[in-house]
Amino acid sequence: MKFQIEDVTVYFPYDYIYPEQYEYMVELKRALDARGHCLLEMPTGTGKTVALLSLITSYALARPSPPLKLLYCTRTVHEMEKTLAELRLLHSHLPPTHRSLALGLSSRKNLCVNPYVLSSASRDSVDSACRRLTASWVRAAAAEQPPGAVPTCSFFESYDRAASSGPDAVLLPPGVYTLGDLRALGREKGWCPYFLARQMIRYANVVVYSYQYLLDPKVAGIISREMQRECVVVFDEAHNIDNVCIEALSVSVRRQTLDGATRNLHRMAQEIDRFKATDASRLRAEYNRLVEGLAQRGNLALTDAWLSNPALPDDILKEAVPGNIRRAEHFLSVLRRLVQYLKGRLQTENVETERPVDFVASVSSQAGIDQKMLRFCYDRLHSLMLTLEITDTDEFLHIQTICDFATLVGTYMQGFSIIIEPFDERMPHIPDPVLQLSCHDASLAIKPVFDRFQSVIITSGTLSPIDLYPRLLNFNPVISRSFTMSLTRDCICPMVLTRGSDQLPVSTKFDMRSDPGVVRNYGRLLLEMVAAVPDGIVCFFVSYSYMDGIVNSWNEMGILQDVMQHKLVFIETQDVVETTLALDNYRRACDCGRGAVFFSVARGKVAEGIDFDRHYGRLVIMFGVPFQYTLSRILIARLEYLRNTFQIKEGDFLTFDALRQAAQCVGRVIRSKADYGMMIFADKRYSRHDKRSKLPGWILSHLHDAHLNLSTDMALHIAREFLRRMAQPYDKAGTGGRKTLLSQEDLEKMGEDPMNMF
Amino acid sequence: MMSSKQNEQPVPEKPAATMHGEQLSTTEMEHRMKLLREDSELQKLHKQFVIGGVLTESEFWATRKSLLDDDAQRTSKQQAGFKSAMLADVRPSTDGRTNKVTFSLTPEIIHQIFAEKPAVHWAFLNFVPSKMTEKDFWTKYCRAEYLHRTKNSVVAAAEAAEDEELAVFLKNDDILANEARRKIRRVDPTLDMEADLGDDYIHLPDHGILRDGSKETVDAENDIARRTLSQDLNRHAAVVLEGRALDVELGDTRTVAEALARSKQAESSAETSDEKTNQERLKRVSRMTEIEDLQAPHSLPYAPLCIKDPREYFDSQQANALKALGDTDARIKPIDCSLSTEEAYIYLMEQISEVKVRGLNNPVVQPEAALKVLNGLNQYLSSTKYHLGKNPQESVLDRLPNRTKDELMHHWTSIQELLRHFWSSYPITTTYLYNKVLRLKDAMTQIYHKLQETKESVQSDFRHQVSRLVQPMLQALDAAFAHYDTEQQKQYNKGVSKPNGFVQ
Repeated sequence: MKFQIEDVTVYFPYDYIYPEQYEYMVELKRALDARGHCLLEMPTGTGKTVALLSLITSYALARPSPPLKLLYCTRTVHEMEKTLAELRLLHSHLPPTHRSLALGLSSRKNLCVNPYVLSSASRDSVDSACRRLTASWVRAAAAEQPPGAVPTCSFFESYDRAASSGPDAVLLPPGVYTLGDLRALGREKGWCPYFLARQMIRYANVVVYSYQYLLDPKVAGIISREMQRECVVVFDEAHNIDNVCIEALSVSVRRQTLDGATRNLHRMAQEIDRFKATDASRLRAEYNRLVEGLAQRGNLALTDAWLSNPALPDDILKEAVPGNIRRAEHFLSVLRRLVQYLKGRLQTENVETERPVDFVASVSSQAGIDQKMLRFCYDRLHSLMLTLEITDTDEFLHIQTICDFATLVGTYMQGFSIIIEPFDERMPHIPDPVLQLSCHDASLAIKPVFDRFQSVIITSGTLSPIDLYPRLLNFNPVISRSFTMSLTRDCICPMVLTRGSDQLPVSTKFDMRSDPGVVRNYGRLLLEMVAAVPDGIVCFFVSYSYMDGIVNSWNEMGILQDVMQHKLVFIETQDVVETTLALDNYRRACDCGRGAVFFSVARGKVAEGIDFDRHYGRLVIMFGVPFQYTLSRILIARLEYLRNTFQIKEGDFLTFDALRQAAQCVGRVIRSKADYGMMIFADKRYSRHDKRSKLPGWILSHLHDAHLNLSTDMALHIAREFLRRMAQPYDKAGTGGRKTLLSQEDLEKMGEDPMNMF
Repeated sequence: MMSSKQNEQPVPEKPAATMHGEQLSTTEMEHRMKLLREDSELQKLHKQFVIGGVLTESEFWATRKSLLDDDAQRTSKQQAGFKSAMLADVRPSTDGRTNKVTFSLTPEIIHQIFAEKPAVHWAFLNFVPSKMTEKDFWTKYCRAEYLHRTKNSVVAAAEAAEDEELAVFLKNDDILANEARRKIRRVDPTLDMEADLGDDYIHLPDHGILRDGSKETVDAENDIARRTLSQDLNRHAAVVLEGRALDVELGDTRTVAEALARSKQAESSAETSDEKTNQERLKRVSRMTEIEDLQAPHSLPYAPLCIKDPREYFDSQQANALKALGDTDARIKPIDCSLSTEEAYIYLMEQISEVKVRGLNNPVVQPEAALKVLNGLNQYLSSTKYHLGKNPQESVLDRLPNRTKDELMHHWTSIQELLRHFWSSYPITTTYLYNKVLRLKDAMTQIYHKLQETKESVQSDFRHQVSRLVQPMLQALDAAFAHYDTEQQKQYNKGVSKPNGFVQ
C-alpha cells in the first residue's frame, strides 16, 4: 500500500497496517525532519523493523538530495539476514524507478568463497589466511616471480582487475544482497565478495551490519571511516546497547596472553635480525617515517588494513611517535618490560582495583614507560608489523591485545578501572589470574556516532524506563516515546507464578535455588505445561550453571523423562554449532507437529536474537529473575561509577537490568496480532511491585491483578482457558471504534481529518 | 472389546465397484481398498450401504474426496518412529546384595544406540565378529556407560588409556562432529549463530568483558567424559526427529547395524545440491519475515496420521484427558458448585447486565435456539447426574450392555452417512437424484424401525437412558422425512410437469 505522512509518500509492503506502526512512522519522520536522535520503544510483535525500513526508504526517496543513507545495525548476523529479507519484501513494492542498492556486510569468515581460505576453522585464521594471499607485499612478490610460485587469491585478483578501471565497473545493480547472495555473486563472477561488499558500502543506499562496525573503534576505524554525515543510523534491538559499548572498550590480560605475547616478541626480534642482515634499508625507512611524525602510513592498500586503533578516533594523538620507541629494537624492549611488569602484577594473591591514573604512574615508576609511550603502543606495533611484512596476524593476537590494553590505559583516565583477580570468584580453587581493564561509561563508545551522524535511532521492544537510556548514553533525543499495543484480542497472557503445586514459594534467590523442593516445583510446573500447551515451549534459566544443575536434577528425579513423553527436549549449550543445530531441529519439531521444549539461558546467545513466534513458542517460562552475578568485581566497579556519575542507585540498576533481560526473553513469543502466547514469570520476587513495575508497559497492561500470585495448578487452569479462547475465530480488523488494522482507505480518511486520529 | 474384534476381520469382499460399471484404475481401486482396510468403521459403512445397494460406490466416495486426495500423496506405509523418551539411556539396576550392576539391552535399544552414537555403530561394524564377540562388545559398552554415568573421570581416563576399544566409547564422537559441520551449512540463516560468532570482533580473544558473571569459562582440558547430558538430550531429540530410516526387522544386531550403515550412505550421497538448499533456505527466511495477519496462511508439511480404529482412539484420548483433569478439576469443581444461590444469582445478573450494555460480541447463533439447547442440555445433565452419581469419567454409554452400545454407535454413524447424502441431494434436479433420495429414504426408514426395536428391547433400567440417546437421532430422521414430504407436496402441487411420475 501507499500513503502519505505529511509530505512524504510512504511505500508499505502490506495491504494493511497496524495503527502503532503508523504512529511509529509519524514520530520517526518528525525525528528525521528535525535531524536529531530519537529513542522509540515499541512492543515486539508490531512489525517494528518493516515500519522503520519502509519509512526511512520512502523518506530518502522523497528527499533525493542530499542522498540519505541508512546504516542499519543489528545485534547478530541472523538478525541481519532477517532484516535483509524484510527489505527485499519492501523492495518488491517500491516503484521500479526507485530501486536502490542494499547489502549486508560481515567478516571474511562469512563472506569468503576461496576454498583454501575457508578451510580455516576460526575467524582469526580466516582473516590471516586471506592476508597471506592478498597482502600488498605478497602480491608484489607474486607479480615478480613466475605465475604459481607465490600463491594468491584468484577471486581478489580478478576483482582488483575489474575495479581498477573505475568503481563503475564493479558497481552492483540495484537490489537487496544478503550474505548468501553476495557469496553466490562472487562465485559466479569470480570476484571476492568481501572486498566487493567493502567497496559497495560507499555507494549503497542501505547498509545492514552489526553494531560493532560502528561502535567498536577497532572495526569501525577500517569499515565505517568514510561514511558521510547524511546517514540515518538505526540500532535495532538496542536494549543492551550500553553493554555493547562498554565491552567494545574493555580488554583483559590473562597469563596465557602474556606467554603468547612473549613468544610473539621473540619472533619479532628474530624477524628484525633477519631484516637487518638482508634488507636494513626497510627498517631505516620506517624510522625516518616515524621521525617525520607519521605513525600511520597514509594510504594503506585495502588488503593491508588490520584491526584498527582501539581508542576512539577523537582521542587518537595526531603527533609524532616518541623518540624512544621509534627504533624497532627499542620498541620491542619497551614491550618486553611491559609484559614483564604485567606478569608481576598477575602474581598477586588478592583482588586489586585501581584507577588508570594510578596504574599508569606505577608502570612509569617500575617499568620506565610513560603515558605517551603507552598511548602509541598500538600504532607503533601496527607500523612494525607492516614493516616486517607479517601476514599471520592470528598468531600475533596476544601482543596485539597487550598493545590495545596499553593504548587504552594510556588514553583514558576517566570511566575505566583496572581489576586484578587471582581466581574466579565461583571457583576459588582454580588459580586463573586476570587483569581486566573495564570500561564503565557506555557513552564513550557511542559518542562519535552521535556526533558524526545526522540522526541516530535507538529502538527496541524493551527500553523501559525510557528516561534511563539518554542518561546512560549521554545524549539528548529530540523524540523519546514508548508505544503501547492495540490488540484485537488479549493475545498475550503474562502470569506471575509464586508458588509450586505444594503451595511453597519458588525462587532462584541464592539461598533457595538449590533447594530440592524448589527444583521439583519448577519441574512439576514444566511437566504440567508440556501436557497442556501445544507445539513449542521455551524455558529461560538464569545462567548456564543453574540450567545444567537443574536439568541434571530433573533427570535424576525422573521429571525429564516425563517431560519427554510429551515433547522433545532441546538445550542451548555453550557450543554455538550445537546450539544452532538444536534450534533448527526445534523448529522442525514444531513444524511437523511433534512439539518441543527449548531450554535456554537469559543473556545467552539465543535470548539475544532468536524469535519464538507463532507455533515456535506458545509459552515462555522464565525460571527466576536473571540478575547479574552481583559479586563480580567488574559489576561492583561499574555500579559505583554509575552511582557517582549518574546518581543511579545500585539496586535500581540491577533490577532494571534483570527485568529488561526477562522482558526480552518473554517478548520473543509474539510477532503479530494474529499470534498468541503465554508468559510465565516463575519466581516469587516478580510479585513485588518494585520488580514488576520495571517491566515494559505493554506487558504490564496485560498482567491482570488476578495473575500476580499464582500457584502451579491455578496457572495451569488459566493456561487451559487461554488456549481455548485463542482457538476461537475472531475478527482480525478489530470492531467498533478500536481499529487494530488499518487499510489504505482508513489512512486516507485519517489524513483528511488529523484531529480524529487516535 | 468389539472394536478390537473388528480389526481381525478379513479384508472386505471388495470389488463391488465394478458392479456399478465405473471406470476406475487399478491403483485407485487398491487405494480405496487400503483405506477400507485401515479404517474398520469406514469398512462397516461401506459394507452396509454400498454392498447393501443403498449407495453407489462413487456416491459413497464422493463425500470423502479429501480422504482420497490426502492419502493419494502418501505412498509408503506409516512407520512408527522412535519413542520420545530416551531409551538409549539404559538405567543400570543393582540387586542390592552384590556389587554387580546389570544393564539390559533389547533390539529396540540397540537400534537407538546405533542411531544416536555413530561411534558405537562404527565400532560394532569394525570389531564385532573379527575382534570380539557381540557379548564382549556390549559388556564393554556398558562398562564405559557406567563409568560415564558415575562421573568417575579419573578411572575412565585410566581405563581408556589401557584399552583402546573402551576408549572409543568414551571419547568425543568425531563422526558426529563432522556431521554437525555438514549440517550447519544447510541451516536457516535467520538462526545461524555460528555466522554470528564469525562476525564478532568485540569478543576477540581477551577483548570484551571476561568475567562479569554472565559467561562462564569452561576448561576443555580432558577430552574424555566431556559428554554432557545436554549434548545427549540434543542428540537424542535430533535422532527422534529424523525418524526411523530402517525397514528391517529388529532382531539380529548385525543386520540392523549394516542396514543402518547402508541407509546413511544413501542419505549422504543423496545430499541435495547447493542451489536447491539455497532456495529452500530462502523460502524459510521469507516465511519467517512475513507478518501473518496480512498474508495467506502457509500450510506446513505434515505427516498424516493413520489410525486403525478412530473411535477407540478418540475414546481412549478422552478418557486420558478426563483422568488428567481429574487431578486438578475434581478439586476445583466442588468449589464451583458450592456457590450459594444468591452469589450465583448476583454473578449471573452482572453478566447479563454487561451483555445488555455492551451487546454480544459475535452473535453466531440465534438467542432463542441457544436457549433451547441450553435448557435441553441442562435437563439432560441433571438427569444423568442423578442416575450416574458424580463420577465424571463414566459416560452414559459405558453403563449400557456392550451389544446395545455398539448397536447404537453403529446406527448413529449410519444415520450420519445417510443424512449427509440425503441433504446434499436437494434440490432435486435429475431423475438420478430423485431415485437416490428414494433409496436413501427407504434405508432411513429401516434404521428408524431398528432404532425403535432397540429401544423396546433393552432392559427397563436402561430404557430411559437409551431413549434419551436415541431421541436426537430420531429427531434428525424426522426432520429429513418432513422435508421429503413437503418437497413431495410441492412437486405434487406443481402438477405433472415432471418427467417422472409419482410412485405414491
